[in-house]
Amino acid sequence: MSSEPRHLHPAAMLIDAIKSIRRSLSAFVIPGVAFLASRGFDARTIVLVLLGALVVAVLGAVWGFLSWRATTYEVAGGAFRLRQGVVQKNERTIPLDHVQSVDTVQGLIQRLFGVVEVRVETAGGGASEPDASLAALERADAEALRREIEGSRRGPVEAEEGPAVLRRLGRRELLVAGATSGQIGVALSLIAVASQLFDNVLSEDLAQRLVETLAPRSVTAVLLIVLALGLLAWILAIGGTVLAYTGFTLSRDGEFLYIRRGLLERREATIPLARIQAVRVVEGLLRQPLGLASLRVESAGYGEDAGVSTTLFPLLPRKEAQGLLLDAAPEFAVAPPLNPLPRRALRRYVFRSTAPTLFLIFAAAPASFVVFDLAWGLAALLLVLPAAFYGWLRYRDAGWALEGDRLIVRSRLLTRTTAIAPRRRLQWRATVRSPLQRRAHLATFQAQVASGGGGKELRVTDLGSEAAETLVYDLRPGARPRAR
Amino acid sequence: MKAEPAERLDPRAKTLWRITGALGALPLLAGGAFASWVLLRLADLPLLLGILPFLAAGVLFVALASVVPDLRWRRWRYEIRTNEVDLQRGVLWVSRTLVPLARIQHVDTQSGPLQRRFDLATVIFYTAAGPNRIPELSSPVAAGARDRIAALTREQDEL
Repeated sequence: MSSEPRHLHPAAMLIDAIKSIRRSLSAFVIPGVAFLASRGFDARTIVLVLLGALVVAVLGAVWGFLSWRATTYEVAGGAFRLRQGVVQKNERTIPLDHVQSVDTVQGLIQRLFGVVEVRVETAGGGASEPDASLAALERADAEALRREIEGSRRGPVEAEEGPAVLRRLGRRELLVAGATSGQIGVALSLIAVASQLFDNVLSEDLAQRLVETLAPRSVTAVLLIVLALGLLAWILAIGGTVLAYTGFTLSRDGEFLYIRRGLLERREATIPLARIQAVRVVEGLLRQPLGLASLRVESAGYGEDAGVSTTLFPLLPRKEAQGLLLDAAPEFAVAPPLNPLPRRALRRYVFRSTAPTLFLIFAAAPASFVVFDLAWGLAALLLVLPAAFYGWLRYRDAGWALEGDRLIVRSRLLTRTTAIAPRRRLQWRATVRSPLQRRAHLATFQAQVASGGGGKELRVTDLGSEAAETLVYDLRPGARPRAR
Repeated sequence: MKAEPAERLDPRAKTLWRITGALGALPLLAGGAFASWVLLRLADLPLLLGILPFLAAGVLFVALASVVPDLRWRRWRYEIRTNEVDLQRGVLWVSRTLVPLARIQHVDTQSGPLQRRFDLATVIFYTAAGPNRIPELSSPVAAGARDRIAALTREQDEL
């Protein structure tokens, strides 16, 4: 299995050159512009500056070549070895069984040359910076490298036929996913930031005139502007989804899931089935009426620390989630009828959702007597109704079940989430009782699974006291899977 | 669920918590005093009304430095069983946590400067989803608990 040290694809030179030029850019641009401005843009200075730029480009190219020549990788003796560095030589060795995943990313430049960037990640490394990154490899070489690295863990090679595609995201689904992603809020804040920048860039005078011409003259104008902004945000949200999820393909090869996605930058990620801690079926607010959902997985890294929460599939009919899970991660493909909460929990749910509104009203009541009419205070009471309805919704959607040794928990914030986790993945479990819950013989059940940033919680609020205790007991280590 | 966990924390924990509670509540007291000063001096409220924030802060201060540590100590219980660690804690929100020993990755004991004055230590055990702790055990007990958890963790074969 050992091999010669190999070089990257020559495209790596260009990528490296661009990277180093970009790094030095900030150091040159401002003096360059200042220089230009101070000399008043005559021909000689422009030539001088262009010459400077040429020197930087040439230096970058030379540096790119040198670093390409210095970079080699090999898989030998049960370890992945990466040598790099022009001046300061650096050799990194990663034992193969410490490798968490071999992912590939294809940026714009890489796509131009038909090559991919390979990222070898271990769990010890931070989430942002890969432990070893090969800037450019031909696809076949990347695939070979992945085979070599994963082969050690995969045992006998039965992977010759390649991964089987489980599901692809169609174009229509992609657009629907964008339109219902609920990221309008994010997009709106982006617009806000952009307009701030715009304000700063525009001269005072111009801004003044702009505002005068565009100044909202009436309520309709304000409404129109709000509507336009909302539409813009919506389009941005769709655009973001298209960028990230175009060509989303989920495939499986033995004990590994592969995810491929991206419009401009193509990403490929590997999720070992053995590392999946929990699966979540997420039904966004806008997606519920359409019967749509997305699938997410919580997975843990090497040695079961560090991990990530990833999209397993961005959009599919809720009904088909079960079938896809059966193909992709059969351990998590369970959908038993859920146990509802006791009736007496409804009061707590309604109380919890209306309490903030009620508090606001009572706090604001004295002020509203003084400042406004009584009518306003009464109108505020109307807010209580939707809040109570929201509480009822949360009550209705909450539920739990134990199927074999898998825990299933459903809850709603705005989105409705069904989480599925096997008993052996629960890091700990707990009941919590507030004074009010104790009076009503209710308890909150919590279970924690490992994931990025210290774990994710599965929680059922206001379970019957006994049910919560039984649940904790049934999930004890060594418990026999119980038939329903 | 079974009856309450068997073991309690070291009784010196109460004294330690009174001290930390009082220290922690000092800013609160200062805030209350400042609010009262503002109300009395600048807003010219009647004495009885203006002194309310200070009184409220004072009551909280006294509670945190006297009653709360007692309640907290009385609630705090733990037990290290052969396959799980059982924790019960919380004054108002009472929580009961069970951590399977098979999930525990490593165990530490830790003691801060104040804890050392009382010869107390905290046992911290880490799972893949973060740490759990048993605070304020006397140093030898903490060391014993740590070693016991470590030994039991090695024995677990169920995953």
